Amino acid sequence: MAATPIASPIPVAMYPTLSVVTLAIGLVITAFFFIYEATSSRKNRSLGKELAAAAVASVFLGFGSLFLLLASGVYV
Amino acid sequence: MNTSKKKKKTYLPLDVKPTEQPDAPNDTGYFLVSFATPLTPGETVTLEVLYILTHSLEPFPSEIAQSESQLVYYRDSAVILSPYHIKQQTTFFKTPSARVESFTNVEPANRAGKEIKYGPYEDRAPYSYAPVNVHFENNSPFAVVEELVREIEISHWGSLQITENYRLTHGGARHKGVFSRVDYQSRRSISGSSSFNALLAVLPPKVNSVYYRDDIGNISTSHLRTGFKKDLLDIENTREKLDSSKPGSMTNECSLWLNHDKLIVCSIPGVQVGDIFFYRIELCIIELEFEPRYPLFGGWRATFIIGYRVPLEDYLFEAPDGRRYLNFTFGCPLVETIVNKLTIKVVLPEGSKDPSAVLPFTVNQDLQVKYSYLDIVGRTVVVLQKDNVVPTHNVPFQVYYTFKPIYMLAEPFMLVSAFFFVFVASLAYVHIDLNIVK
Repeated sequence: MAATPIASPIPVAMYPTLSVVTLAIGLVITAFFFIYEATSSRKNRSLGKELAAAAVASVFLGFGSLFLLLASGVYV
Repeated sequence: MNTSKKKKKTYLPLDVKPTEQPDAPNDTGYFLVSFATPLTPGETVTLEVLYILTHSLEPFPSEIAQSESQLVYYRDSAVILSPYHIKQQTTFFKTPSARVESFTNVEPANRAGKEIKYGPYEDRAPYSYAPVNVHFENNSPFAVVEELVREIEISHWGSLQITENYRLTHGGARHKGVFSRVDYQSRRSISGSSSFNALLAVLPPKVNSVYYRDDIGNISTSHLRTGFKKDLLDIENTREKLDSSKPGSMTNECSLWLNHDKLIVCSIPGVQVGDIFFYRIELCIIELEFEPRYPLFGGWRATFIIGYRVPLEDYLFEAPDGRRYLNFTFGCPLVETIVNKLTIKVVLPEGSKDPSAVLPFTVNQDLQVKYSYLDIVGRTVVVLQKDNVVPTHNVPFQVYYTFKPIYMLAEPFMLVSAFFFVFVASLAYVHIDLNIVK
């Protein structure tokens, strides 16, 4: 029977490493976002920078939390 | 059909189908066996027919005390019920113990130890029947699973999670009187001879995260015997530490070995090219020996849940036409137990379409929806239900479905949008100016 086994697109053994790395990057960018909010005044704020940081941070945090769920055994 | 070549029997499985006959006497059921090649006049063929009857042993007496042995009735016929004329036949009854209280005397009948021989009978007309009642001692564990619900959850992120809910009973003579724990523990060979306190479940080779619990909590009286260690650095130690012949010989004693006189060439799930084994038995056995919280006497019940996880690539495949299918074993992983009502639920990932199941025998099929982690529309569940399931039903079956890999991104996308919503909310909070006076 010509049947190919289907596996996960990302090797299962890499889930913990990937989750730590992506969550770390996501948290660093989140930190940048909030520091920018706190230190800039109303006039100097750039909406583009804020949205870009928010978008990138949410992508990394989203994937990081997905890998964290998978690494801890909750196969969503 | 079997052909003998130097004392080695080869079996050719034949096609068997249930049929109906118009002039059937007294609710007789019929099965049609198709030969491989047509039988020419004067030719002979040898057939071996195996059929398994459930709930056919009637405990008599129907209630026994703790120190009594269990005796059962088996009702059958000394001549087989057949629509054909039979020239000569002999019937052997093999009992599990040498203690036989009585058996119907249909001449010529005689008994030798564990075997009762009826016959040989010559020239019997079609549909002849000679009822026989054998009353014998049977202390083998009458483990009956009243209801088993097996849920197989497929996650494309790499695992198959299987959860099994059991309702187990002792289907033999009901226990009457008190249960004396002192008697049970001090005189184990006499007390509770028909009771059982441990069961064996055979699990797939690459299983992990096995749990055994019930409504109260975890049940610790269980042992998981893996049987082989796949560690390339540990080969020298592994060879000495292996005791893998034990589960193999134990299951052989329980007549668990299937197909031991057949040659089957196939792939074994969980085993890949490059894996190292020292004994062939290692390929096949991982067993969970578990004990319910109390020994089971006649009529007693135990409910529990067994769950485990297996890697996805051993069971999920892509068919040549692009559909995905799950190849899993039907039936119950418990050895030598019958299941009165078996329900298998295959939970397909979100976004799966056109589910269909392919089985070698008839089951009741149904579709349900289940809401699980990170679900929007819910997961399709293929429900297969069958009554009266025996270990011979442990054959592979397939569930086909179509799935576009892009749908896997729906779950991380949901998480990403949740985090983005938090950021946008904080942005809005910072930007909104609620001052009345500038």
